[in-house]
Amino acid sequence: MDESMKRLLQRLVRRIPAQMLKTTLEKCVRLTASQQRSVEVLQPKWAFTETLLDICEENGWTVKHVTKLEMTCFMDNPNQGMWYAFQLVDPEDDAHAVELMQFKEKFKYHLKDLVRPVSIKIKKHTDEAVWIRIAWGDGFSPPNHLKPTYVVHYLQTPYVFVTNLTSKRKPLLCQALVLSTRHQIIKDANLSGRKLTAVRDLLMKQYQQAFPIKYPSPLAERHETVSNPHIEKEQAESASKRFQMACEAFGDGMLPQLQTSIYKLETKFRDHTNKTMTDREKPFRCVVKFESTNLLESLRSCASSGIASTPVTPLLSSIPLKGRNYFVVTDNTPGPASQTRQPLD
Amino acid sequence: MTCNTEDWMHRFRRGNSDYCNFVVRMSLLKPFSKLPALNTANILLVESEEQLQQNLAESLVEESAFTVNVRLAKSLPLPTENDESRPRIDLVVFIIHLTSELSLQSVEASVKYLDPGYFLGKVCFMVTNARNASVPSERLDAVRKLAASLHCPLLFAEDQSPTGVTNATQRLLTILKVSAGLVPMVTALHLSNLTHCTVPPDIDQPSFD
Repeated sequence: MDESMKRLLQRLVRRIPAQMLKTTLEKCVRLTASQQRSVEVLQPKWAFTETLLDICEENGWTVKHVTKLEMTCFMDNPNQGMWYAFQLVDPEDDAHAVELMQFKEKFKYHLKDLVRPVSIKIKKHTDEAVWIRIAWGDGFSPPNHLKPTYVVHYLQTPYVFVTNLTSKRKPLLCQALVLSTRHQIIKDANLSGRKLTAVRDLLMKQYQQAFPIKYPSPLAERHETVSNPHIEKEQAESASKRFQMACEAFGDGMLPQLQTSIYKLETKFRDHTNKTMTDREKPFRCVVKFESTNLLESLRSCASSGIASTPVTPLLSSIPLKGRNYFVVTDNTPGPASQTRQPLD
Repeated sequence: MTCNTEDWMHRFRRGNSDYCNFVVRMSLLKPFSKLPALNTANILLVESEEQLQQNLAESLVEESAFTVNVRLAKSLPLPTENDESRPRIDLVVFIIHLTSELSLQSVEASVKYLDPGYFLGKVCFMVTNARNASVPSERLDAVRKLAASLHCPLLFAEDQSPTGVTNATQRLLTILKVSAGLVPMVTALHLSNLTHCTVPPDIDQPSFD
């Protein structure tokens, strides 16, 4: 293989952690016995890269094989970079009947129509998700395999998750998606996060939710707590009410691991003690950002411990309810407004 | 009971603010309005964060010389639904975490819901994180002034380790035994005279930080 391809392979392989490469190699590629042995030897990354390149040469692998390897590694470990959620709106009549082969063909056709050259790989994951890897090129250069865009779509749902997309390519991808899924519009769902599973679970509501019920524990006798009879909580009832309301707002059990929530405020400054700021006509612009290792869990414990007042304010409960974490708050609409936000380059 | 009703009538005529006063008065926790139980001491732990109190409670009930009943609350006033079942509280402990301003504010508000009879040796303040460098010194001074003005002892506790919790438990048990009347010849008032918090005369002067 020529030098440029070698360099490309080197750079691709270098970016993937060695352990992941090894496991993926064993899983999806057939190696000869000697190759297998050479892979299993514990060696530093650069030596391992050399070994792998030799294997590539021996087996006559091309960029195609290596990108397939990269894609498999990425699918196993998708929590790199920021994922942005999009929503497809206004389905056509046959949008619910789109199935995999049809989607694949149509997507490839439409995207290749819009931009050439482009390298597209579509794979179906075990959990019904369709993964698309796109390496963009333009009229002058071949597809750039070092900065691929990954798209995850669940067929027959209106949700698409994208990572690593530049604003230049965004309209092209959106057009291709809209046409191949038989919808009319695609819009930003205002939800982003580092963990794909968290973003997906939040948007598609795949976590345990608590619904308001009038008699929360019908079998009270069965729930006799075995805590010490000498210890008694005075305000146990109000505590359990707060906990119930917190769970209703955010959900029961394990919550999706969302990490940030951003509120862009465009409201007038209101503080009686500060006349100069309050008298200004223009809205006071500021951005409030909540960050945590598990934001929803911390908000739920804030509400159940009484730090956040219950019933939970719609500003906080909109995060799981509407499945978004970017809000623009204006004066007339105290709830989240709908403004799109561009994914960053 | 009759004099209470007359009191109420007078206050009701005087106006709304006094009615609120009456309401507060009615929800006061009273120290001697119930009979004590044999060889038993009841302690009420009031903590806004509801964390240290659980560990302290589990440690307190392990006392074997006498029965210890622990009631846990986030703040006062206590819900009136529990008034009937609640035993006579011998010692009220307010737990303040110095790292949180809310903790102190919650305690300052709760203190008003105790009958003045409690402040004769049946209330104590427990403070955590006093050694923490990020805590402003004014907060500890404020707690000291509060404890001193109410004539109550101020205990310092370390809540992060099991030995810290055990030490705090031992200290509380010492005071609890006296407040419950289980120590002969010593009353709660006597003990509080010896152990109550005092404020050094130069507390308002800036310290060399």
